[in-house]
Amino acid sequence: MNKDTLGLYLHIPFCVQKCRYCDFCSFASSEAQREAYTEALLSEILHAPEDMREVNSIFFGGGTPSLLSENAFSRIFSALQKRYKISRDAEITVEMNPGTVTGEKLSALQSLGVNRVSMGLQSSHNEELSALGRIHTYEQFLDSLSLVLASGIENVNIDLMYAIPHQSVQSFKETLARVIALAPSHISAYSLIIEEGTPFFRERESLSLPSEEEEAEMYALACEMLGGAGYRHYEISNYAKEGCLCRHNLRYWQGGDYLGFGLAAHSLYRGERMANTEDFLAYLKDPLSYESREKRDSAAEAEEYLMLGLRTSFGISPTEYRARFGRDLLVEKKEALSLFSKHGLLSASEERLCLTQKGFYLSNTILCELL
Amino acid sequence: MTEKQKHIRNFSIIAHIDHGKSTLADRLLEKTQTVASRDMESQILDNMELEKERGITIKARAVKLNYTAKNGETYEFNLIDTPGHVDFGYEVSRSLQACEGALLVVDATQGVEAQTLANAYLAIDNNLEILPIINKIDLASADVEKTRSEIEDVIGIPAEGCPAISAKMGLNIEDVLEKVVTDIPAPAGDASAPLRCLIFDSHYDPYLGVVVYIRVVDGTVRAGDAIRLMSTGATFEVFEVGTLQPFGMQKCDSLSAGEVGYITASIKAVGDTRVGDTITTVADGAEEPLEGFRDVHPMVYSGIYPADGARYGDLREALEKLQLNDASLVFEPETSIALGFGFRCGFLGLLHMEIIEERLEREFNLDLITTAPSVIYKVKMRGGETVMIDNPSKFPSPDAIDTAYEPIMKATIITPTAYVGGIMDLCQDRRGNFIDMKYIDTERVELHYELPLNEIIYDFFDALKSRSKGYASLDYELKDYQPSRLVKLDFLLNGELVDALSFIVFDERAYGRARKIAEKLKENIPRQLFEIPIQAAIGSKIIARETVKAMRKDVLAKCYGGDITRKKKLLEKQKEGKKKMRKLGSVEVTPEAFMAVLKLEDE
Repeated sequence: MNKDTLGLYLHIPFCVQKCRYCDFCSFASSEAQREAYTEALLSEILHAPEDMREVNSIFFGGGTPSLLSENAFSRIFSALQKRYKISRDAEITVEMNPGTVTGEKLSALQSLGVNRVSMGLQSSHNEELSALGRIHTYEQFLDSLSLVLASGIENVNIDLMYAIPHQSVQSFKETLARVIALAPSHISAYSLIIEEGTPFFRERESLSLPSEEEEAEMYALACEMLGGAGYRHYEISNYAKEGCLCRHNLRYWQGGDYLGFGLAAHSLYRGERMANTEDFLAYLKDPLSYESREKRDSAAEAEEYLMLGLRTSFGISPTEYRARFGRDLLVEKKEALSLFSKHGLLSASEERLCLTQKGFYLSNTILCELL
Repeated sequence: MTEKQKHIRNFSIIAHIDHGKSTLADRLLEKTQTVASRDMESQILDNMELEKERGITIKARAVKLNYTAKNGETYEFNLIDTPGHVDFGYEVSRSLQACEGALLVVDATQGVEAQTLANAYLAIDNNLEILPIINKIDLASADVEKTRSEIEDVIGIPAEGCPAISAKMGLNIEDVLEKVVTDIPAPAGDASAPLRCLIFDSHYDPYLGVVVYIRVVDGTVRAGDAIRLMSTGATFEVFEVGTLQPFGMQKCDSLSAGEVGYITASIKAVGDTRVGDTITTVADGAEEPLEGFRDVHPMVYSGIYPADGARYGDLREALEKLQLNDASLVFEPETSIALGFGFRCGFLGLLHMEIIEERLEREFNLDLITTAPSVIYKVKMRGGETVMIDNPSKFPSPDAIDTAYEPIMKATIITPTAYVGGIMDLCQDRRGNFIDMKYIDTERVELHYELPLNEIIYDFFDALKSRSKGYASLDYELKDYQPSRLVKLDFLLNGELVDALSFIVFDERAYGRARKIAEKLKENIPRQLFEIPIQAAIGSKIIARETVKAMRKDVLAKCYGGDITRKKKLLEKQKEGKKKMRKLGSVEVTPEAFMAVLKLEDE
């Protein structure tokens, strides 16, 4: 990872309605709350650490960032420009949900510099969408997508979800085929995680979820169909056309520095992990202090290097690992590594240790042995 | 009989579990002011944490009470508390032998139960005066008259005018004390005859060595006497004699015929002082020991292994410590290919086993893996010699066996009539041999069966409880060994035999059991990188098969900036969980898998 650049993350916690599986920090809001939040965010940005490095990725995540007004975006962008040197070719992403944007807002965002949109579709079947508690239909998604493309933003990610209630391998196949036909530059396909504290978690016994076999089949199907359509499977759940890998997200997996702004935002900055509060009112009152701040020791750094690095198709470098952490993975974990490679889960050499497509889907088992 | 003897009453309290034995003991201590009210805690004689929790007495104990009766005279009562479970039948009988009377406590809401009966018979066998006591009369569902007639009809002892009490509320306790004076005979015995003391229990004290609980039958014992244990011939010099108090021991000059107390004599192991043995003096000793001494042998064996192999030494030390106070616990080192180094332990029964396991885990903080319990089989080999098998993995191959024998128990089951059908089916299913059935009254039945112990230890008790909604009670004792068609069932995981899972089964049951256990194992083996066949085999013949499918998914699908710390914790937790797994060759299994073969549920 290029250590000479910096990434910025901005968390926008507002949603029209919370999805039934979602455990992210998000909620419905009023105009006044969004305005107060924008003010707090501006103040946090203006007081953030000074840094001479070039910012080459900015990501507005949520929640549904597209719920913020054009005016709010414009003030945030000026604050960012005031504080940081934003590279001319920076990747600037805004997450949005279908039905939450107008052509006007999109043109405004485009002229502020936004050049990438990440759209939460999840499924092309309306009954699956409603089971997830999504607010939109597939048709509304298509409308929003054409608005995005019409605004001149060409770099688009589409989020898909599988292993969701009532889904079959066949219905997921249809979703994949439809999305491939739309030819976005990037596709994320996540399996549903039933997180504690969500409505899905409370109903988990009665959700009719696909079996482990079916889920694995869906994963394999995504790999196969997306690979066949020219998408590179570069992270467990991420696929991109050549040259369209998400620079910002790669930063997370490859250990690059990033600063997070807003409610519940996290930062990795100069060897420290910081986290902002998840309490909305507390954040409004004091957007400047961190809720937690932890210096990573070398052991933690080594763990993260493996845990995150092995999520990507680039894998990690045993040589670099030895140089940085003084331990030789290929020797220490010889037995485990040879077992895994015998089962076709990874390939290991001095230069590169990376998981295979099958290995990705068993990565926890592998990490438990390697960590 | 001496004047002193005339004022001694030795008795114990017997009851079915939960009928109120310990509570009555508490009240007697309180009423005689043996324990001041301010020091009173409940179940004072059950001072082991586990005893209080489970409501059972594990070790026998005795306590001296002084009671001034209505006739103005003061009496010395020795209350001998007996262990309350079928596993400890012999110990109970020895405690009873130390007494002249027994208070038979019967719950007025439950009536006579299997252990009420078994204990009453034991008391009758020991020629004790039985004093029935109807307890829990404070409860709305109490039926004193019905209980009274049950005692008369079922046990066959008069219950007219017997105390009806509430031990919990302290109601009519005086009646009990008076009855002890008037109805229980004073101890016979000749204080000037050669010494004969009955050992009814002992405990280990780190300073004094073994403290032996005795009832002096004849003669007198003092500090300084040279004594001999008649079963082993071992001799010792008495260091101290005294009486047993609720909170310790009270030294005294001597104990004479009729008295109950303790002696110490620098004895190093409780194994040297066997319950039921007779103590006499070296010089001018008694000719004949007291009757009834028996060497107790464990009935149930199980392999106990530390979950963490490095704690083998700790496990040995813990077992040694428990053995100091429990001569019926036996153990010897054994090695399992699957589980490493551990111990084969012998117990009096399943409850005894559970208690030991629980104490090892609780008091010594050990994580254990225990194999399914096994009984001892007797095998006559083709070559002519006979071997006893306490470990299923050592069971000889079929072609080497001439005849195999298994222990058969005499079982008594008492149940409400409504469940008789289901229970008879169960006993039939467990190879029971029906002996007879007696109606206790119009509502309850006493069933007698001969049942293989091998069937009783496979979840029989739970099945019995579930078929009778918890109402049936069970009591059993060894009858004899009988020839049986027994085979060894082995289990293979991923083609490798796991010795710790082998067990012995009646030939015709092998297929059914094998299938059930294979299913249970499947539930206890998490999916792994490769498919794992589970096979059940007799010799080289595979008779059941299950498959644990290969793991297809174990992944954190989503992991971005903010999430990393949380995901890292998840992974650490998973890693912790993996550490608890037991590796058998290439297969990881949960530590519970070894016991799972035992939990068959009702077949």
